[in-house]
Amino acid sequence: MADPASTPLGRLLLDEITPVVMVLCTPLVEEACQKNGLSFVQMLSPFRDFNNIDVPVRTASDQPYRLHKFKLRLFYASDIRQPNLEVAKERLKQAITQAGERDFDESCSDRPPIDNEFARSEAESPPSWFQFFNKELLRTVSFSDHEAFDHPVACLLVVSSKDEQPINHFVDLFNTNKLPSLLNDGGMDPKILKHYLLVHDNQDGTSEKATKILTEMRSTFGSDCQLLCINSSQDGVVEHQVNPWAVYKSDASLDRHLGCFLNFDDLDEMKELMHDLSSKYIIPYMEQKIRVLNQQVSATRKGFRNQIKNLWWRKGKDDIVDSPSGPMYTFSSIESQIRVLGDYAFMLRDYELALSNYRLISTDYKLDKAWKRYAGVQEMMGLTYFMSDQSRKEAEYSMENAFNTYLKMGPSGQNNATRCGLWWAEMLKTRDQYKEAATVYFRICDDELLYSAVMLEQASYCYLLSKPPMLFKYGFHLVLSGDRYKKCDQIKHAIRTYRNAISVYRGTTWSHIKDHVYFHIGQWYASLERYDLAVAHMLEVLACSHQSKMTQDIFLREFLRIVEKTGKHFELLKLQLPEINISSLKVIFEDHRTYASPTAVSVKESMWRSLEEDMIPSLTTGRSNWLELQSKVIPKNYKESNICVAGEAVKVDIEFRNPLQISISLSGVSLICELSSSDETKSDADISAMELQNDDESAKLMNRDMNSSLSLSEVDFSLGARETNIVQLTVTPRVEGVLQIVGIRWKLSGSVVGFYNFEPNSMKKKSAKGRRRAIHSPSDNLKFLVIKNLPKLEGLIQPLPQSAYAGDTQKLVLELRNQSEFSVKNLKMKISHPRFLNAGKRESLDMDFPACLEKNTDYEWSCIQANSNDMSQSVFIFPEDTIIQGGTPFLWPLWFRAAETGNISLYITIYYEMAEVSSTMRYRTLRMHHNLQVLPSLDISFLVSPCPSKLREFVVRMDVVNKTSSESFQFHQLSSIGEQWEISLLQPFETIFPSQTLLAGQALSCFFMLKNHRKSVTSDEKTPLSPLLGSAVRLGPQGSPELLFDISCSPLADLHHYERLHQENSNQGDRTSIDFVLISRPLKSDVNSGISDPTRLFTHRACYCSIASRSPITWLVDGPRTLYHNFSTSFCEIKLNMTIYNSSDSAASVRINTMDNSSTSNLGDVISASAASSGNQVGWYDVSFVTDIKVTSDVAGGAKFGKPPSLESVPPFIWTGSSSTRAQLEPMSATDVPLQICVFSPGTFDLSNYVLHWNLLPSNSEGNSNEETRRSSGTCLGYPYYLTVLQSD
Amino acid sequence: MATTACFIIVSRNDIPIYEAEVGSAAKREDAAQLHQFILHAALDIVQDHAWTTSAMYLKAIDRFNDLVVSVYVTAGHTRLMLLHDSRNDDGIKSFFQEVHELYIKVLLNPLYLPGSRITSSHFDTKVRALARKYL
Repeated sequence: MADPASTPLGRLLLDEITPVVMVLCTPLVEEACQKNGLSFVQMLSPFRDFNNIDVPVRTASDQPYRLHKFKLRLFYASDIRQPNLEVAKERLKQAITQAGERDFDESCSDRPPIDNEFARSEAESPPSWFQFFNKELLRTVSFSDHEAFDHPVACLLVVSSKDEQPINHFVDLFNTNKLPSLLNDGGMDPKILKHYLLVHDNQDGTSEKATKILTEMRSTFGSDCQLLCINSSQDGVVEHQVNPWAVYKSDASLDRHLGCFLNFDDLDEMKELMHDLSSKYIIPYMEQKIRVLNQQVSATRKGFRNQIKNLWWRKGKDDIVDSPSGPMYTFSSIESQIRVLGDYAFMLRDYELALSNYRLISTDYKLDKAWKRYAGVQEMMGLTYFMSDQSRKEAEYSMENAFNTYLKMGPSGQNNATRCGLWWAEMLKTRDQYKEAATVYFRICDDELLYSAVMLEQASYCYLLSKPPMLFKYGFHLVLSGDRYKKCDQIKHAIRTYRNAISVYRGTTWSHIKDHVYFHIGQWYASLERYDLAVAHMLEVLACSHQSKMTQDIFLREFLRIVEKTGKHFELLKLQLPEINISSLKVIFEDHRTYASPTAVSVKESMWRSLEEDMIPSLTTGRSNWLELQSKVIPKNYKESNICVAGEAVKVDIEFRNPLQISISLSGVSLICELSSSDETKSDADISAMELQNDDESAKLMNRDMNSSLSLSEVDFSLGARETNIVQLTVTPRVEGVLQIVGIRWKLSGSVVGFYNFEPNSMKKKSAKGRRRAIHSPSDNLKFLVIKNLPKLEGLIQPLPQSAYAGDTQKLVLELRNQSEFSVKNLKMKISHPRFLNAGKRESLDMDFPACLEKNTDYEWSCIQANSNDMSQSVFIFPEDTIIQGGTPFLWPLWFRAAETGNISLYITIYYEMAEVSSTMRYRTLRMHHNLQVLPSLDISFLVSPCPSKLREFVVRMDVVNKTSSESFQFHQLSSIGEQWEISLLQPFETIFPSQTLLAGQALSCFFMLKNHRKSVTSDEKTPLSPLLGSAVRLGPQGSPELLFDISCSPLADLHHYERLHQENSNQGDRTSIDFVLISRPLKSDVNSGISDPTRLFTHRACYCSIASRSPITWLVDGPRTLYHNFSTSFCEIKLNMTIYNSSDSAASVRINTMDNSSTSNLGDVISASAASSGNQVGWYDVSFVTDIKVTSDVAGGAKFGKPPSLESVPPFIWTGSSSTRAQLEPMSATDVPLQICVFSPGTFDLSNYVLHWNLLPSNSEGNSNEETRRSSGTCLGYPYYLTVLQSD
Repeated sequence: MATTACFIIVSRNDIPIYEAEVGSAAKREDAAQLHQFILHAALDIVQDHAWTTSAMYLKAIDRFNDLVVSVYVTAGHTRLMLLHDSRNDDGIKSFFQEVHELYIKVLLNPLYLPGSRITSSHFDTKVRALARKYL
């Protein structure tokens, strides 16, 4: 380690613990000195410090050593007393305040964050005024009676040569009542070294008179007399290059005049005087005193005998009153003498001697419970250990002991403790034990807020300087210190410490810490009226979602208050309230795609594209017209930016979020936009881009916004606690050019304007324009090329319901408007769900809705033909002459039918072209979107089964369930579709369903007869010409005036067509199927009278109801049922006729096998046996008609049935004729097969014991795929046919 | 139960990932920030201590006035820090151990990104229950 004396603490000690010289002088001396602007002590001060005095010193030991550095402290006698604490405090406070002012102005710029590397270079950061402050603090406890080093060693008596009777003055000066109390109350020896000095002012005349007085003095006081001549310079213009007094005089303004009458002779003389005083008088005097005292101490205290005696004697003093300062020791007491000895030795650098004496006395004081003295001695011991560079542990132990002892004394020891602590901390710092030093500084803190603030700040720097730097501790202690500064109104210091702390806490995630620091800095800056800085710091804490509601409220109110105080229009780039969710940014603009409603915008672009595919001229064909045209009009560099149309709004959806628990109000939320007109295209755009770089462009932007080329929407709203709000902002360019959306601005609580720039790189835009976006760089996304005003269609469908019951059929009106003067033409429309919605005829626009469907005109017949052509293509083309312009609405009927339950999204897109060819865009599309909820209403199902008794007749069972919760329905009619079908009621409807009204939840079944009256295959064409012709049956009350609806006329037929198309997908088309349409009407909801609402119509459709015979072959056995026969004569022969009908499209071969087994079980046996012969299955198993039979029955059929019947059961009748009959059937034709049986006895017989094998022959022309999937062959058992034969008489 | 206790989990990057005031004393507005300050400053001390011992529980390593900071350092250098005013060493140790287990369970959650804030309410409830039990 370096020489302790050269360390900061060493220097401090050598500075502070030095012999004190008491100065007593007459007023005239002072007067002479004041000519130089100095007091006498100040005048001598520069010369009391000796760096190389080189005096041999011999203390207690015989070995002399040389003293190099030496210093005297000069004090007026009046100053030698315990300093007034209040005054000292005031002085310290002033010192701190001044330092604060000075530092504050320097430190307004932000400090860079401290990291470990940087910490070292910041090492000088502890402000220099700490040194000064510490020194001042040490001095507050000087001249205490328990320490001898502040006691004057010598007394300097000074008299001016102008004084009358100088000798008498000398005597008077050392008058006891003027002396400090220390000398008078016995705290120290009043017999001290006296030195007599005569001051002569050369301006008052020559020094002869002074010399005379000096000799007189010498004769009176002996040799200790000297003469000092000052003010040798007559004119007072001596300029000292390095003014030696400046450091001793705090008043800087007088600097120039200090010592102006003192020339170099004077200075030399003063230097000489001080040197003589030290080396010739004071040091020898101290040596001598040390030797004397040492002898005394050795005599009384050293040696074994003395120690025992001392111990005994101390014990006996136990009953001494325990006063806080311990017993009073006079200067003559041995304890005081030991202390003086120690201190003198310390001052003369004989640390060993000092230490031994301190040790000696410390035990005594401890036994005496003289705590203050004990602590003082311990303190000195620590310092002595330090100075002699001995055991560190001992030194620290002593210091800690002293510190604790002082503290134990209570408030009276506090200042001493502070001093001790400072020394201790310095000591630790010298040894690089910064962490411990910081702890000591921390312990020094007491109730005195200002001191502790400074101490804490020093502690924080210790943490910073420790290795490795403890930055967190540094920050914490800075904050603690700042807090205390604030409490003593040292706001500038507080700000300084907090700002330093920010370097640690910047970007911290410890939210409370960050809020605390920033909020307080902001608040304090505000109190200093540095509002810009205040606001900047307050901004950091605004988005404090983790804080309690109350704190948030305080933060926000304080912020607004500060902003208000600034009194100016505040614009902030980083306003964190509210939060803007930039990823939610969504730009909606309309180029050639226009949208009828906001919901249409959110639909996927691909959806629209697929819908519009057929309508929009494709790129290859379009290149010749509009794209090329566009490239001519649009400058090349903007070709890739988005296009919008002048006069049409660009909408921006953005999400605002309030992170706080209190509501905030926002007003004037609008976009910041730039519009540069297209003439000055590129250069202007570049300029505007550059303007964006600097922060204060907002004013410029404001101006831009103001001009008439743009109009911006402003939105006011308030956000509740933690609320999120999506706001739509619009900008409408008025002229052509390039539009750039730059950012958003808003006003918080009516006072602070915040704005947010969309950073081009951080932005991700979800635009309605899907896949073309990916090619572009993001910065282009907010850039629009504004093109000339274009016509734009607005569309509306009314009254399109939000929800409807399934089957609801309505006429709607599509209303199109074009506000501009320019007309549009070539309109086309496509609807995504033609089942739900399709376009009607213009004629039906004016017609009454349900009535126009009624079957009373022949007009519809004509439209059927036209419509069937239309339906083949899904795009509806408006008539050629349709031109929309000038705001007049264009109406077109649409037919709506809620075809299916569920939530349906209807997409309608309308294509139109500009009539004016020169426009940049040739065509546009209008996209409409509608969400529809379809509720279940009537659920109908049909079951068609062939009538067993008649060929080509079917029984239809209709099941209807009303699934609504409240609606009631009345049936109007049931129609079957297809001209060959004829439907009729089995019974009058009143008898089936008397109430006529199907209530909610009710179900109904009724039966109908369906007749196929198609004559033959040959008479029909392959495809039915008008499949929608059909028959209808009225289900309403008989005799009602309402006519039946013609389901084959335009809207119903069209709707049915799409319904069929749809159901075809799910139901593989079966030619043998039938479609039904049930038309019903809901009851008027307001009236209970049971009257149906004539304006509403429900159509329910069931398509492809299979006519449900299992095989395409049906047959009917016809013959007598009851017969009389005389069996006595002969057996009875009965002829039967079987009519076989082939309902399939291909020719069939049918074979009828008759068996003479009466029991059906035998028959089953046969079949199963035949099945088993092909498969290896054993025993009973279920034979499925559909699968295996067709293979086996044909191959093995004949042989098996040729098996002779068992003899046990002879049937009462036998089949006669051929046992196997084969017949060929053309498609859709019938044939008769004669059958015959012989009956041998009367009875009732079941003639079902025959099997019909059928086999469809593949049609010769082409193998229809549809046919192939169906069964090509099968076997049917005979129907029961009961024949009763009675014995006739 | 301690009158004042603040429990905090600090990730290895010195970011607090879980905070809970578990003391029974009435909440004071400025207490939260003071506690954060003390705990934050104590991280420096933890840094010193953590590598001098192999034990995870570092006992009381720092103090501020009458508040003591006890720390438990997991193997991944996540620090569980408790600021408390009562001296109940065993209880605190058990508390830390059990919270450590809970923390490991949180880590095992594949949806939890290590070092991110623990938002599980279940974890919160459990920690508070443990605090009532041991502190």
